[in-house]
Amino acid sequence: MNGNPQVYLSSVGTALPGDPVDNAELARVLGANEEWIEVFIGTRTRHFARDLTTGEVRWSLADLCAQAADRAVRAAQVAPEDIEFVVLGTATPDTLMPATVNNVVDQLGLDQVPTFQLQSGCAGAVQALSLGRTLIASGEYRTGLVIGGDVCSKHLDIKRDLTKAAPSDLVNFVLFGDGAGAAVLTDEPSGERVALRHVLNRFTGLGRKPGQVIEWFGLADRHDDRQALTEDYKAIEEQVPVMAVEILWELLGELDWDADDLDYLLPPQLSGRMTRKITEQLDVPTATEISCVADTGNNGNALPFLQIERLLEKMTDGQKALAVAIESSKWIKAGFALERI
Amino acid sequence: MDRIAIVGIDCTFPGAPDTGAYWDLLMRSGDGIGTVPEQRWAAREFHSPTPAEGRANTTQGGFIDDPDAFDNEFFTISPREAAAMDPQQRLLLQCSWRAVEDAGLAPHELAGSATGVFVGIMGNEWAQLHLTDYDHVTAQAGSGNGYCMTANRISYHLDLKGPSLAVDTACSSSLVAVHLAGNALLSGECDYAIAAGVNVAVTPALSIFYTQAGLSAPDGRCKPYSAQADGIGRGEGVGAVVLRRLEDALADGQQVYAVIRGTAVNQDGRSNGLTAPNRWAQQDVIGAAYRRAGVDPADIAFTEGHGTGTALGDMMEVAALGHHHAGRSGRPMALGSVKGNLGHTEGAAGIAGLIKVALALDHRTVPASRFAVKENERLALRKKGLRLLKAPLRLPRGTALAGLSSFGMGGTNAHAVLESAPPEAARPARESADGPTGIGTALFTLTAPAPEALRRNLNAQADALAARRAPAGAVGWTSHRVKTGHRYRFAVSAPDTDTLVGRLRAAAADPDLLARLTGVGGTARTAFLFTGQGSQYPRMTAGLYQESPLYRRFLDEADDALLPHTGRSVRDLILTGDEEVHLTRWAQPALFAVGWALGRTLGELGVEPDLLLGHSVGEYAAACLAGVFPLDDAARLIAARGELMQQLPDGGGMLAVLAGREELAERLAEEPEVGIAVVNGPRATVLSGDLMALQRIDKELDRDRIRTRMLRVSHAFHSYLMEPMLEKFAEVARDVGGVPRLPLYSTLYGRVLDDEPMDADYWVAHVRRPVLFADAAAQLLAAGPTHTVEVGPSPVLSSMIRKLPPPASGARPAAVAPVRGADSTGRDLADGLAELYRGGLTPRWEAAYEERERTPYRMMPYVFSDEHRYWARGGPVRARHDAPVPELPRPAAEKTPEKTAKTGKTTKTARPAEKTAGPAATGVLTLERPAPTDPVSEAVLEAIGQVGGYGTDELGPYLRLYEDLGFDSVMVMELKNRIEERLPALAALTVQDLLPRLASVGDLVDFLREHCATRPATEERTA
Repeated sequence: MNGNPQVYLSSVGTALPGDPVDNAELARVLGANEEWIEVFIGTRTRHFARDLTTGEVRWSLADLCAQAADRAVRAAQVAPEDIEFVVLGTATPDTLMPATVNNVVDQLGLDQVPTFQLQSGCAGAVQALSLGRTLIASGEYRTGLVIGGDVCSKHLDIKRDLTKAAPSDLVNFVLFGDGAGAAVLTDEPSGERVALRHVLNRFTGLGRKPGQVIEWFGLADRHDDRQALTEDYKAIEEQVPVMAVEILWELLGELDWDADDLDYLLPPQLSGRMTRKITEQLDVPTATEISCVADTGNNGNALPFLQIERLLEKMTDGQKALAVAIESSKWIKAGFALERI
Repeated sequence: MDRIAIVGIDCTFPGAPDTGAYWDLLMRSGDGIGTVPEQRWAAREFHSPTPAEGRANTTQGGFIDDPDAFDNEFFTISPREAAAMDPQQRLLLQCSWRAVEDAGLAPHELAGSATGVFVGIMGNEWAQLHLTDYDHVTAQAGSGNGYCMTANRISYHLDLKGPSLAVDTACSSSLVAVHLAGNALLSGECDYAIAAGVNVAVTPALSIFYTQAGLSAPDGRCKPYSAQADGIGRGEGVGAVVLRRLEDALADGQQVYAVIRGTAVNQDGRSNGLTAPNRWAQQDVIGAAYRRAGVDPADIAFTEGHGTGTALGDMMEVAALGHHHAGRSGRPMALGSVKGNLGHTEGAAGIAGLIKVALALDHRTVPASRFAVKENERLALRKKGLRLLKAPLRLPRGTALAGLSSFGMGGTNAHAVLESAPPEAARPARESADGPTGIGTALFTLTAPAPEALRRNLNAQADALAARRAPAGAVGWTSHRVKTGHRYRFAVSAPDTDTLVGRLRAAAADPDLLARLTGVGGTARTAFLFTGQGSQYPRMTAGLYQESPLYRRFLDEADDALLPHTGRSVRDLILTGDEEVHLTRWAQPALFAVGWALGRTLGELGVEPDLLLGHSVGEYAAACLAGVFPLDDAARLIAARGELMQQLPDGGGMLAVLAGREELAERLAEEPEVGIAVVNGPRATVLSGDLMALQRIDKELDRDRIRTRMLRVSHAFHSYLMEPMLEKFAEVARDVGGVPRLPLYSTLYGRVLDDEPMDADYWVAHVRRPVLFADAAAQLLAAGPTHTVEVGPSPVLSSMIRKLPPPASGARPAAVAPVRGADSTGRDLADGLAELYRGGLTPRWEAAYEERERTPYRMMPYVFSDEHRYWARGGPVRARHDAPVPELPRPAAEKTPEKTAKTGKTTKTARPAEKTAGPAATGVLTLERPAPTDPVSEAVLEAIGQVGGYGTDELGPYLRLYEDLGFDSVMVMELKNRIEERLPALAALTVQDLLPRLASVGDLVDFLREHCATRPATEERTA
């Protein structure tokens, strides 16, 4: 990166499918305990791409990503033809092939652009930002689109009765939601005029058991009796707060910012309850917390964009924000810093 | 500048049973602190949150697991002696052994060397307990205690003859020990040094002392440089490093964790108080270390501070560091301390820091310092050119420098400067061997003093190897160097690491298999058997040739020697699969080439024959390897022999008969054109001669129901039909051949040669006269070889030998076949080598591996048994009961169980130690049982029992709902409902009210009891 040119975030767009689903409705459909969801998950509403009563799929991941991307491009006031690359981070592609990013680009009416899809959980959006930033900083591209999105409801089996389910099983049904977000990155200030000061993306899982596993099934193993989604909640509860604090301080150290300099903090969005807990540990009382998970559910790679969207409503010139994200699958540390100029 | 390399490490710290776990704990910012284990002292009895005489303000600390476990059998220490030994001695012994192994050395290798042992230690609590119990002071108690013995024991058991001493400078002890070890190495006093530190807390004395001195953290946690810092928490640990002069380590190709560039030690002198830290002395010692290391302070990337987390201590320390770093260019120096994770490990503190720094330099990442996030602003670190390690720090490429401080309470300060190990490229190139080496397949060997130890270690190796990809060559190579020296010798071939892991697991799980793969050594006495004509086939040994550079080297050499006489490459003939290999002209030189090359390969591998025997033409390779003639002469002879025989007219044949030679001799009396050619066994004879006559005899034998088989040969070997070539052959053989230098069993004479030359006469007679294999082999067996090694393309002689009567005394030898058949590769040779290793032979491993494979690999060090446990005779230390302790019932369980819960084995102390899986077995806990039951606790216990499926009598108040009883959030919801059913007064209670009070059963009962007590009053008022 010659001279390390600055990269800017020009706009953000997001997409949440359908109406919010509250705990009462979710509890009714799944046979779960509403109070349990409120107390132990702390998430109030979420959105699903799948109809909760019929199970019918109403939006694909590509639909949601294209919607968010379209909004971002319009907001950035750049012509679609100016988009020189598209990066998508997701853990839940519609199909393994074609990669969903290509269907998104197709829906956007773009052609002849480099596309990248990053297979990643909660760090995917940050990885997309990291790659987008590197591409622009390389000098080869000037404008690009980064997208994050997930459709978790693929695993929301509404036919299951969860009355007797263990919490580790239950949580998978009430934690997640669907959604997508996108941002336009540029090499000079425009639109929202937010500088992307730093991006952290680091694997720290050497020798550590995954905290989260999502299986995929093919013709040969589709009848295997494996749980599609497993999480080591104990490890996550123990490790994520520690990692979050380290990410915060590493970013601050890299940027040579004091914690007091921060106007906003975008903490990891695991669930309403966990995010509250982590924010307490991050302990930056001077910064305003920007969270969304209690309203949107954990929709994976859409979250950072949903947070940025909320941030931009408040952020004024010269203000600084720092985001922390953690992918507990194989313990990936991620984060980024924004400054409105 | 002379530098010291850290080449081996082992340690145990709170929450970290080994080096890998220690690094993991550091990288997770893990907390090693917990409640004082019941085994140590009755912490509650000594606890007083407010200042009180004889009391500590905490019940917490950093304690290692299993300090009572000791593998005394491994060190051949009697249980009685082991029980009297300070656990610090025991732990150091095991730790040192493992550290030496980690350095890529078999501890036996150091035996007798002037290796130094330097142990830092400041706690002598075991002695305080046991040497004041005068009636029980035994000889063992004497040698089992005392600082000196910690070091001297290591020297004794590892037979190390360098300086051996214990160092007590209080909290700086083990860094001072490292300093002394480094000096001893640099002065040439020793070539290796073990520097160690240890601290095991057996009494509450120091906790009380810290409390009385106003230095004790109520939560038992050191919080270095943190705004939350409120004193010291005690920690335990044991750590050892193996040190060497850097140039020696590099010359040996040893792996280096990190390099110690310079150390310094000084004293506060008459400062403002004996125990007060002194900023000026610290500043000086740091400066002295920098000077000795020849570094600019600004180049130090990070420093592992002393960091006890006391207000004064932290203040003095950063002031001293600030003197050197304030105003430095670039980023402030990163600062942290492992005490945040472990507590203050006192005598082991220096080594804990040293190991952390060494691992950080090795991993090129410095772990975050626990509690650093809430920085103590009053330290004004930024102004002093310092910053705390709030997140892990990646070290940039290139050499990284680090500092390490350790300060003693009495004013002895130490500082060390370390740097990252030199990059691979900067290391001297190792000398290459004489020629190509390697057999194409690695082996894995492991020894242990007992079968159970073997099994335990095989499993440990399997787990470690399965966890991370490792090259089989480096693993095998290291296993031979490090895992050697014990009685039980396990060996397998290891074509790749996955296969190896599978084989290790299978062997550990199956006693029969394990027995087959394990030998108990002894002296291997090998007999090389060289196969004769008939054993050849196209592409024989081609797999080995392809995989093994070593074999390739020798087959090529044989081919070069033969080529002038054969005119065509015998090697190419073999490898291309030419059927002409069966022609006598080619078969004989080809078999010679293979036999000789295999024999040389084995010799290079350290498998030298004690006895030799060659079947007919196989005798040429045997004779050549026994020094009868040089390769060139042998090549000339065998080429001529094959060629001359090939030129003989057809018309002869050979007939194998299942009958003894005496029985056949009668029949042959009438048949002058047929004679006995080969005696393979008591009932296995081959006739040779005129084909017509043979057919006649065959018919006769058939009539008498004697089984026969006509051999597919071109000529009647060892018969009168050979006579036309004898003269010419005698001419070729003129002047060759001497007396074999090794016992060679001649198939011409049917006995061992007794100082008789194998000259032209011998070789001419050898063509014409019968092959007395059975006689020669029987005599060879009587000489008592432990192994026969079949040197040829297929194992035919081994099976013939099996049909001979067993030797008069001793067992039949084990048969080793380096080549089993057409599919053979390096793996068969490796399997053969494994068999010989099990039998006591130590191969020359250098020859078995290619140069690039001969690299060290850090294997899991020896895993000691934790079956035997030894602990304090008097049981846990208790407060004196005349002291003002809270009124508590006496523990009910003075009669402690005779078995430990974990292993089920009786411990060997006068008073058995308790190793409890759950708290239920210990006596002290009965203290906490609620006295009389009341309706609330009854209701709660019933509810918990119902939700969790427990009987109420199983539910002690100390049991934790989540950890011990397996509750989860769904069960908690249910529990709330169950309690409500029983205690309707609690209906207004929410889950949120309950959540903070669910730590233990007792906690919940207390909370609900309080709640119920206040409840009616409230209702009354509202009513």
